[in-house]
Amino acid sequence: MSPDSLPRSSIALGFREVWRRRPALYSRPLWALMIALDRLPWPWGEDILASLFAAVALVRGSRRRPVLAWASQQPGGRGLRLALAVCAFRGRWVARATLLGVRSPAALSRRAVIRGDEHLTAAPEGTILLGFHLGPPNVDVTLRILGQKLAWFGTSRNSWVWSSEAWRPLSDPRQNLAPPDDEWFWPGYLYRARRILLDGGALFIMADSWIGRAAFPVPLPGGPMIIRSGWLSLCRLTGARVIPVVTHLEGRTQVITVHPALPSPIPRDADPLASWREIITALVSDYVRRYPEQCPVLVFPPTILPRRRGPGRPEPDGHARPPAGGFVRT
Amino acid sequence: MPGAAVLERVQTVVLQVAGPTRTPPDAGPDTPLGDGGFWLDSVDLVEVIVACESEFEVSFEGETDLTKEALHSVRALAELIESKRPR
Repeated sequence: MSPDSLPRSSIALGFREVWRRRPALYSRPLWALMIALDRLPWPWGEDILASLFAAVALVRGSRRRPVLAWASQQPGGRGLRLALAVCAFRGRWVARATLLGVRSPAALSRRAVIRGDEHLTAAPEGTILLGFHLGPPNVDVTLRILGQKLAWFGTSRNSWVWSSEAWRPLSDPRQNLAPPDDEWFWPGYLYRARRILLDGGALFIMADSWIGRAAFPVPLPGGPMIIRSGWLSLCRLTGARVIPVVTHLEGRTQVITVHPALPSPIPRDADPLASWREIITALVSDYVRRYPEQCPVLVFPPTILPRRRGPGRPEPDGHARPPAGGFVRT
Repeated sequence: MPGAAVLERVQTVVLQVAGPTRTPPDAGPDTPLGDGGFWLDSVDLVEVIVACESEFEVSFEGETDLTKEALHSVRALAELIESKRPR
């Protein structure tokens, strides 16, 4: 059976089971629409969702106002056109996050390329591949489909495809260090991530995650991106090298750009954050300048729903600070 | 039940990671390691785990050993360590 003649995993699972798997971050109408669109050949459903998100922004002020405000602050002043493009890409990324209509890994690999893969050349030390919520999601999955050996460390996947035979090799729990949404307890996963790095493996982690301590902001027109400290902690615990990875869409092709490793080892008397902050800021700023339409997360950051009740960790002055943990909802 | 010596050594490790600002004045073996106690986050807890591995010459399994229950308090962690030590 050729990969393209495989049954849709949403059909194979059955409607009831697919419906039950609706992640909290998608509304019921959106999830129902996505189940219906999954029947179409890829990327038709993705195109429809992109158009729909743009159309919704035109009619709903709550979507239109923030994106217009953000677009007006970008260089070039493309206003409404950029705003609609951002919303369309938001819809496209929602589709990509669930691998809507993508029947097999092979289908995805035919429309993906890696630039700078010489930086991934095997090295004896562990490697942190540092991603960003810019461009298409699931970069680690695409990298793995393209032959890179790595594990994912982050939140769990929201897609029905993982239960299908074609995708099963990519859903190995040893390569997916992601706690279930209803049981966020990270130390065990962090410990396993550390082990992978100490054993010389590669780990993909998002720099601008939604959880964890803030490390530093990247100033951007329209508002900063907050870089978290999880990857820095792993780096400190293991001495792993850090390779930034960004991705964007060129027409139908996903381009994954692998950058050189951040300078390492860090001199003892130097502040690692100073030089790394500079490099990451330049990299992210350049991306947003070149592909602003592919950065919807900068306009529509996920809402954090508190998971903990009561006061947070006390500050040295004795005052409580707000809870840091959260459940992600977009 | 972990012995008093093990409890004390685990508590010493936790105090080192938490530092004086996060250690509650009435800290004991049943004080939560996380929220409402020592306020250790995931990274801090991994530091405690790694230090305990070295201190007690034991090895943990990330998938099965490091549960919320096992990392609830000094006592719970000491019990996990005891279960891992050769008898």
